[in-house]
Amino acid sequence: MDVKTISVESVDEVVHAYSHRSGLKAFVIPKKGYTQKFAAVSVAFGSVDNYFIPPGKTQALRVPDGTAHFLEHKLFEQKDGNVMEKFARLGSSPNAYTGFSQTVFLFSCADRFNENFRLLLDYVQNPHFTDESVEKEKGIIEQEIQMYEDSPGWRVFFNLLNALYLEDPVRIDIAGSPESIREIDKEILYECYGSFYHPSNMMVLAVGDVDHLEVFQMVEKGIGKSEPAPEIERIFPAEPPRIGSNYVEQSLSVAVPRFQIGFKDEAPQTYGRESLMREVAVKLLLEMLLGKSSDLYNRLYGEGLINPTFEYDYGIERSCAFSAIGGESWKPPEVRDKIAKAIERVGREGLKTEAFERVRRAMTGRLLRQLNSVEGMAYTFTSVYFRGVSMFDYLDIYDKITFEYVREVFKDHFKPENLALSVIKPIEE
Amino acid sequence: MKESAVKTGSFKGIDFYFIKADRFKTSSVSVFFKDSLTRENVSGNALLPAVLRRGCEGFPSTRHIAGRLEELYGASFDCGVVKKGECQVMMFFVESVADKYTREKESLLANVFRLLYRILASPVKEGGVFKREYLEQEKNSLRDLIEGRVNDKVSYAVERCLETMCEKEPYGIYEYGSVDDLKAITADSLYAHYLDFMAGLPVDVFVCGRAEDRVMEEIRDLMGQLERREPKRVETGSSSPAVQAGERELAERMDVNQAKISLGFRTNTFPGEEDYYRLLVYNAILGGGVHSKLFQNVRERESLVYYIFSRLEKFKGLLVVSGGTEGRNLEKTRRVILKQMEEIARGNISPMELEAAVRSIRTGLETLKDNQVSMVDFYFSQAVSGGKDTLDSLIEKVERVKEEDVVSVSKKIRLDTVYYLLPK
Repeated sequence: MDVKTISVESVDEVVHAYSHRSGLKAFVIPKKGYTQKFAAVSVAFGSVDNYFIPPGKTQALRVPDGTAHFLEHKLFEQKDGNVMEKFARLGSSPNAYTGFSQTVFLFSCADRFNENFRLLLDYVQNPHFTDESVEKEKGIIEQEIQMYEDSPGWRVFFNLLNALYLEDPVRIDIAGSPESIREIDKEILYECYGSFYHPSNMMVLAVGDVDHLEVFQMVEKGIGKSEPAPEIERIFPAEPPRIGSNYVEQSLSVAVPRFQIGFKDEAPQTYGRESLMREVAVKLLLEMLLGKSSDLYNRLYGEGLINPTFEYDYGIERSCAFSAIGGESWKPPEVRDKIAKAIERVGREGLKTEAFERVRRAMTGRLLRQLNSVEGMAYTFTSVYFRGVSMFDYLDIYDKITFEYVREVFKDHFKPENLALSVIKPIEE
Repeated sequence: MKESAVKTGSFKGIDFYFIKADRFKTSSVSVFFKDSLTRENVSGNALLPAVLRRGCEGFPSTRHIAGRLEELYGASFDCGVVKKGECQVMMFFVESVADKYTREKESLLANVFRLLYRILASPVKEGGVFKREYLEQEKNSLRDLIEGRVNDKVSYAVERCLETMCEKEPYGIYEYGSVDDLKAITADSLYAHYLDFMAGLPVDVFVCGRAEDRVMEEIRDLMGQLERREPKRVETGSSSPAVQAGERELAERMDVNQAKISLGFRTNTFPGEEDYYRLLVYNAILGGGVHSKLFQNVRERESLVYYIFSRLEKFKGLLVVSGGTEGRNLEKTRRVILKQMEEIARGNISPMELEAAVRSIRTGLETLKDNQVSMVDFYFSQAVSGGKDTLDSLIEKVERVKEEDVVSVSKKIRLDTVYYLLPK
């Protein structure tokens, strides 16, 4: 068995890697002394993968909004009943989530890891959809959609994406709409399953106090396919570099208004080390500009324009990248104007090296803190994996990233013409 | 692995605990101030941590404190308010990377705790009291937080049900206080409250992770410098009797897509009693995960909801069931929920349901050991309720629970309040 081991000595961590003949990659991150054991199968199939040419066919297929998410729900259904019951019998909690760029099936347990792990490998390879069970799921998913429709945090984010993007499928709600999911049937689910759920489009990860060779042997035996599949041809619409609209608002039953300000990357770097460099640079910049130690944060807070809900992040998906800055505020346009003005001034006067060094050190420490949690590690590892990088590359990048590079990224990312504001207002009685 | 919180000292109403755990890459210190939940003190107590975190001697603003934390390798500092039964807890928390991962000579944990101590003991003052600017800003932020409760409909539906149910008991008081109280608070009144708070509330200090003896000693020495008097006697949970109003209903209308239903129950069972372990299993069978009767029936069988769960408020002996559905399905949802409870009372519990419930509790408790915050919360909760269980002894007792025990504890559970959130 060909196993590669990478030691990350600076943080006392090790990653074992194994490639299965089907093209599946498997990883084990041992966490000695930890009780929780965690495993996940990730599939490079998310809500944005809605237009593609199924392998072996020539005709492109456009699937209804929410299909990847629907498939995630239905995979729990097996020929001999619901797989959740089998996990429950083992005392573990199974779960799954669908994002823009991937679907992840996971479980967390304290003991009987091997049984749980074999069960996980087994059910993701054995779909069983019937007309009846697909119909029944529609009621459940419709309630999930309605719950998110009432969530100001969710709505403000999707409205922002709709303002920033004109064509990219990242605009579409991950779960779809009550109307779009009505179009989904078992044939569509099988078609997507057949196209995307091939081992070569998947990754398996285990984190915890487990024996990596044993895990890899289970992968070796448990994966049915023995040949890699051809690349899937995904079709993405051409997204213009400009944003669709610089302001969008919606009224919801909230007491305090909520906002999000986004910057869209014109030429997103979504793959490889470059994407990670870019991500680290934008995150450092957000921290330097808007972190609690910044002038701007203290002014905004001091003027009562923001409150402790204020936060910011930068996300990279399959074909796009954007930052989002938000929280509650009674005067979102004023927050936007002050942020825009501060960015303009930094553009003129330049960034401070002192702040750069301080923030870089702080963020390295925070990354280390993430390594405390089995689940946190698994989540971070998984979220960057399909971008062709490892979460441990972050450490190296934090170490090597230069002030000059960060300065370049500042000019490229924080452009006023790529800024949009999304607001959730209280309903006026 | 046998692990527990070891009491390392106690003086002037301050109890010190150490949870030694070398596997973590960080160490943390949590300081908990406990008070009885009362209308008089609740809002002042809630506002204090928010004002204190704004600045202290040497680090007079958020900016200075944040800058200092960044220097300390991204150490974190946070504070907040929770309620444990009828006890209001004001917590302060610092965490830093373990010293072996830095190139510093001095202990990071000691350094970050020194900062926390200053935040507690030497706030920024103006004319001998809190700085007015900070006070006003924090009053506004807290008002947003109180009014903004309604924004998250899932948690709002639960809290509204429990608060209505206990409106005549201290438990019904919201732990962040009320907007009306806030208006009356001044820099003078809050400062007087602060002096009282620091001197008289009982305090628990938890250190978790790795910490050298000299760092532990320094933490004790610093806390020992606080001016203290005989600590106040604080209610710890379930002390006030239930005011039974019989079953009642409350409905609110809002502009929402999804209707919600919450059912609040009195379990008449409390920590420390034998029945408490049985109640844990009861709750897990009813609505504690994907194996539960609620999930399997209300969601999987009937497709009525996406989320449905039951949850215990152990200190106060309450149980709440909550879910989201379509307005026209509310009554049916209520029926199916109550049906599941009847099934348990009738002894319709399959061996698989019992086993899955016990195992899920076990897994939950076991995995809690991997998270410093949860571990500290567990042992702090034990300290509040006077419980003697460790994680391991609790697991053992839960594993001894039998089907008939669950049936017997179910007979003590009484429906009290049903809350509906209705779309307009």
